[in-house]
Amino acid sequence: MDVWQQLIFIVEGVPLTLSISILSFLIGIALGLPLAFIRVYEKEVGFIVDAYEKIFRGIPEIVLLLLFYFGLGPFFPIPFGNAFFVAAFVLGLRSGANQSQIYRGAIRGVGDEQILAGTSIGLSKWRSIWHIMIPQVLNFSTPGLGSEYALLIKDSAYVYVIGLAELMTRAIQLKSIPPGDVVTPFVIAAALYVALTFPIAFWLDRWGNKRKKKLGL
Amino acid sequence: MADFVMEAKHVYKTYGYKKTKLEKNPNQQNCVNAASIVEAVKDVSIKIKKGDIKLIFGPSGSGKSTFLRCMAMLEIPDKGEIYLGDECLTKPGVDLNKARARIGFVFQHIYLFRHLTALGNVELALRQVLKLPKEEARKRALAALAEVKVLDCINKYPSQMSGGQAQRVGIARAIARNPDIILLDEPTSALDPELTGEVIDTLRDLAREGTTMLIVSHEMPFAREVADEMIFYDEGTIVETGPPSLFFNAPNTDRAKKFMTRIINRTTKE
Amino acid sequence: MFEFLLNPVYQGWLIQGLLLTVEITLFGVLIGLGLGTLLAIGDIYGKKPLKAAIALYVEIFRGSPLFVQLFLAVYTVPAILNIQIDHGVLAFLVFGLNSAGYQKGYMKGAMETILDDQMQAGQSVGMSKVQTLRHVILPQAYRIVIPSWTNEFCSLTKSTATLAFVGFLDLVGAGRSILINNMQILPVWIVVGLIYLAWITGFSKIMDIIYEKKKIPGIELFMQS
Repeated sequence: MDVWQQLIFIVEGVPLTLSISILSFLIGIALGLPLAFIRVYEKEVGFIVDAYEKIFRGIPEIVLLLLFYFGLGPFFPIPFGNAFFVAAFVLGLRSGANQSQIYRGAIRGVGDEQILAGTSIGLSKWRSIWHIMIPQVLNFSTPGLGSEYALLIKDSAYVYVIGLAELMTRAIQLKSIPPGDVVTPFVIAAALYVALTFPIAFWLDRWGNKRKKKLGL
Repeated sequence: MADFVMEAKHVYKTYGYKKTKLEKNPNQQNCVNAASIVEAVKDVSIKIKKGDIKLIFGPSGSGKSTFLRCMAMLEIPDKGEIYLGDECLTKPGVDLNKARARIGFVFQHIYLFRHLTALGNVELALRQVLKLPKEEARKRALAALAEVKVLDCINKYPSQMSGGQAQRVGIARAIARNPDIILLDEPTSALDPELTGEVIDTLRDLAREGTTMLIVSHEMPFAREVADEMIFYDEGTIVETGPPSLFFNAPNTDRAKKFMTRIINRTTKE
Repeated sequence: MFEFLLNPVYQGWLIQGLLLTVEITLFGVLIGLGLGTLLAIGDIYGKKPLKAAIALYVEIFRGSPLFVQLFLAVYTVPAILNIQIDHGVLAFLVFGLNSAGYQKGYMKGAMETILDDQMQAGQSVGMSKVQTLRHVILPQAYRIVIPSWTNEFCSLTKSTATLAFVGFLDLVGAGRSILINNMQILPVWIVVGLIYLAWITGFSKIMDIIYEKKKIPGIELFMQS
């Protein structure tokens, strides 16, 4: 295969890389946002959130992928027999644990007074959270979410271990095609990942500078 | 032997964005945005003899602090010369660190080293700059802390001290090296009014011992008591110089007169 | 189900795997710390070309997965240079270089927040810039970034699971070797997962204790979150 063919072969994995990272990011929001509020405002059940965060931040994604796909897949082919589902599920749960932390920081940053202000105009606690806190929390967490999304793009490379043919898997597949090129595929893969994460890093930088200026730093 | 401990000759310092272009107006591409330039120090000269206590005062934003920083070479003047004894500090190639070791500096916002205790703050320069052995450094640091009467908080970190204590530690840090001169940049203006007294007392003690000092301050009663000479500074330059009696009775310039009236009124109201 | 744990051979593999993970992580964090500090200083004080080079370095190491970097280090670099280098050395290096890319960011952030007034204070007592960096800026910056090290340590530890796929006997490698003889897939991965979890949780606790011990009133943990 010439370089051009290799490039096309690997680029064909990009849609899969992106769909895994976007899907798991969305799962992460859906999990992380409520969990963060539960952790802050429902102290009695906070320990469950803590345990969930500890487990998914303390076990390598690779092991989780192997565990759910090869370990649980044979017993529960639906849903764990599906590699794409397992990928989004594992990375989504991991991202939920990270995002819960990000939002928690933001909730502290926005401050309790906002909920107090909400209840003072007659909203219930959870309605104030929905109408007043969440918009501010999302704004506050933007930089953290940016790096979280970049992290998911990079972590999607791990799904190689359950055989999904995304970017990384395709690069490794090229290595095993005789004569076994070990240079071009990996250089291409690294460059593609940098290209995929660069816009986020760039935008984060700009956003950070703008914010600094706004705050007069 | 030089006649003066410290001397500034025709010092200039300008801030601003001389090189920035006015981007929004395409017709004036190379025009300098004049409003963004601040001439903080314009042709300022000063001579300080051993034992002198000089006090600089004037409206805020007039450039007094900048001038003081230039004296300590914490900011490099654009033009002019600064002498420490015989040594010209503004010549290229001078070891400024060595020079600064002979100049004590007290900051308006105190700037203690946040990760060190009061003792550590004073010791650090003795160990790292003067290279004193451990015991010797400790002894001198304790002596300096005793002089400013903060022995009760030698093991406290800056965040655990009151503003007055912290500033006195700042003074101890400045005097521990036995510098030739101490420059104080509004040492009391960042403190709560009830805490300024203890710092002023400390400065009074230093004055009594014959310490050479150049102070930027608006503490008028203190100035009247200890200053050999007062310097009225406005719009980046020295407007009038004279003994306290001159300023408290009848300053020569209108600007100084106005400023003195305002400041004395304020003090008596309090 | 878990009787494979009683087999001394398997036990040996798991212990060996854990040790490799521990060694590479600790080494990586330390190299990353040293190099990351230098990069942060270079980025703050360096001239434009140096800053650009540092930005490129960071972009490469932070912009691509450690998984790819590991393949590049173990296969690509020796092939390009046409030399044989011990894979272990290369793996250690790549973890350190990767970590430096992240730690540079933490250090720079911490230094920038303390730089202005503390540098002036240091110079006002006669210390040089280098002395002030060493005795004033860095001690404060390190204390601020300890919580970030804990995160960095967790993510590096998790990344060591990639080592099995370039031929090392790390914990995942040990799991795979056990599975060749013993088809208890689920229990094996549960055990491997729990070993990682125990190590990461335990070490984070140790770091928390260190942080509490080293904490100085007034140097707050604003870098956290």
